[in-house]
Amino acid sequence: MQDSYRNPWLYGAGWAYLLLVVAALLLPVFYIVYISFNEFGFGARIYTFTFDWYRLIGADTILVASLKWTLALAGAAMITAVPMGLLAAKFYKRTRRKVAFVFLMLSPLFVPADIMGSALLVYFKNLNGIFEGLGDILGVSWFDDWFGLGFITALIGQIIYTVPYAFVLILITMSRYRDQQTEAARGCGATGWQAFWQVEFPQIRVGVFSSLAFVAILSFNEATRTALLKGGFDTFSNVLVAQMLNIGMSGESYAMAGTMTMIAILVIGTILVVTLATAGRAGRKALPKAEPVATAS
Amino acid sequence: MTSPNETAVEVVDLAKDYGPITALDSVSFSIPRGSYHVLLGPSGGGKTTLLRLIGGFVRPTRGRVLLHGQDVSDAPPNKRPTSMVFQSYALFPHMSVERNVGYGLKLQKMAKEQIREAVDQMLGLVGLEGYNRRMPHELSGGQQQRVQLARSLVLESDILLLDEPLASLDAKLRKDMCIELKRIQEKIGITFIHVTHNQEEAMTIADRIAIIADGRLVEEGSPREVYERPVRRFTADFIGENNIIDGRVTGRNGDRFSIDTGFAEVDVVAVGHDIPTGTEVAISVRSELLQLLRESRAADGRVQTLPATYVEEVYLGLTTLHLVRLPNEIEITVRQISGDMAGSVFQPGQAVQVGWKTAEARLHTE
Repeated sequence: MQDSYRNPWLYGAGWAYLLLVVAALLLPVFYIVYISFNEFGFGARIYTFTFDWYRLIGADTILVASLKWTLALAGAAMITAVPMGLLAAKFYKRTRRKVAFVFLMLSPLFVPADIMGSALLVYFKNLNGIFEGLGDILGVSWFDDWFGLGFITALIGQIIYTVPYAFVLILITMSRYRDQQTEAARGCGATGWQAFWQVEFPQIRVGVFSSLAFVAILSFNEATRTALLKGGFDTFSNVLVAQMLNIGMSGESYAMAGTMTMIAILVIGTILVVTLATAGRAGRKALPKAEPVATAS
Repeated sequence: MTSPNETAVEVVDLAKDYGPITALDSVSFSIPRGSYHVLLGPSGGGKTTLLRLIGGFVRPTRGRVLLHGQDVSDAPPNKRPTSMVFQSYALFPHMSVERNVGYGLKLQKMAKEQIREAVDQMLGLVGLEGYNRRMPHELSGGQQQRVQLARSLVLESDILLLDEPLASLDAKLRKDMCIELKRIQEKIGITFIHVTHNQEEAMTIADRIAIIADGRLVEEGSPREVYERPVRRFTADFIGENNIIDGRVTGRNGDRFSIDTGFAEVDVVAVGHDIPTGTEVAISVRSELLQLLRESRAADGRVQTLPATYVEEVYLGLTTLHLVRLPNEIEITVRQISGDMAGSVFQPGQAVQVGWKTAEARLHTE
């Protein structure tokens, strides 16, 4: 219930505070974007606006290769982590042990990235050893390198990291969905899948699409686990971090970071607008007063 | 209309447990085809569970559900000849009224033109012509419920299940919808099974009423039977405004039993009962059948009386309630048409007699 006597200035002050915090958090990001348009790069006294660094991204083979790997990982993480998050959210609604279930689902987030990465590294190496030993016993080489470091192990690391986020995002939109609609669809003759796809999914798709976008962004954001599990390729984050630590970031790196930032803001902004619009529609209740009842024929 | 002798629904020894909680306990009964059957009872009594078991929304712990003689106990909802109207409307919010109503027909792969015709016809039946393009959030509660009804009726299922369909509506709309539901059922002639805890609603629409409480079928009969001649004490207590007085059988003369209430002895007629002397029983008399008498009246066999103390009068417009206290401190209610008795005839604390015609009391052994 709203307090009618509250100070309206406090409400405004609350929003001002929120905007200030967001601005302070995002300022460094926008600064990177600002630098990416400077012909003379970071630290120069002169600022001359240019798109040159953006044009040169394509020429930086290391950066382009890392971007391809990152996109591939992000795509694979999206098509595996989001359905897993969706299934987990569906199960959450059915289970009676909700607190335990949420704790288990979110538990990977409580483990620091480097520890999780190291643990998975050791785990995969051991698994590899076990399977290779099994192959030796059976006299076949088929089991060799099943868990050798590479794309799959890096993907597993990312899935473990992103599924909890996908789960939470989908659960938020799913909490508005009433299961009676599924029952109503079943009562109309729909199979379980038809009821989900035609009735439930359209109402939770904002959450699903948000999860897809979020998982993609998280993939670009992920460095530590991937660095430990990726094997012989580099991702965008790994290249950026390595450049920063060794030679400093290049103009192309700033341009790439700027591109990613703008894409992320665009995606998140779109999701926000769509979510608000959808929530507004869903939040509208039935008319408070019944219109005059038409006389039935 | 089909013959009422044909059975639409038969449940046999049906039970549903949720862990240690028994929601429904060995219920058996049948519903004739084409009847308007109401499952009436207090909240949490198991009536919605029974309805959902018939609809296939929950799997029984034991027992069988037969629809038109076919055992469907293991069939999901979409494999049963039933459709359901839910209490909370359950319209699909992302679909227009037309798409909501036509949803089931689309699943049946009916041609678009046929769907449109069927939807128009059904919206006409429920009094919502021209609402095709409206979205659910643009409708009132009553209109949403009508859309839901149309969505179920358009499927031409043999059995329509209604789970407290009028509970969310205001009193005026509920009354209108009650009459309309009955009219629609009579027009299309299919079996309606309607769950409610509202006895006025049940009396208005039902051909037959089944009283469900504590997971059991307490009693079943026509509205007149359960109202005027309740067999069980629970039914008497739940339906109408019955006054229940406990006592013990002290003697029998044919179908007439003498009951000692602890402060007076009264006679009750109970045809076909065989109740041994000493059995604990209860007498029920509806409040509108009681009379308040100023003075003691000699028992003449046709009228029974009890001494009481007048407590207060509650004026309700058409009727007036008179509360009186029996010597065992139980308060009972006498309802009379306002004006039938001159106002303020009785004063609080005044000694009175409560009387009824012997044939109007019911005797309950359970």
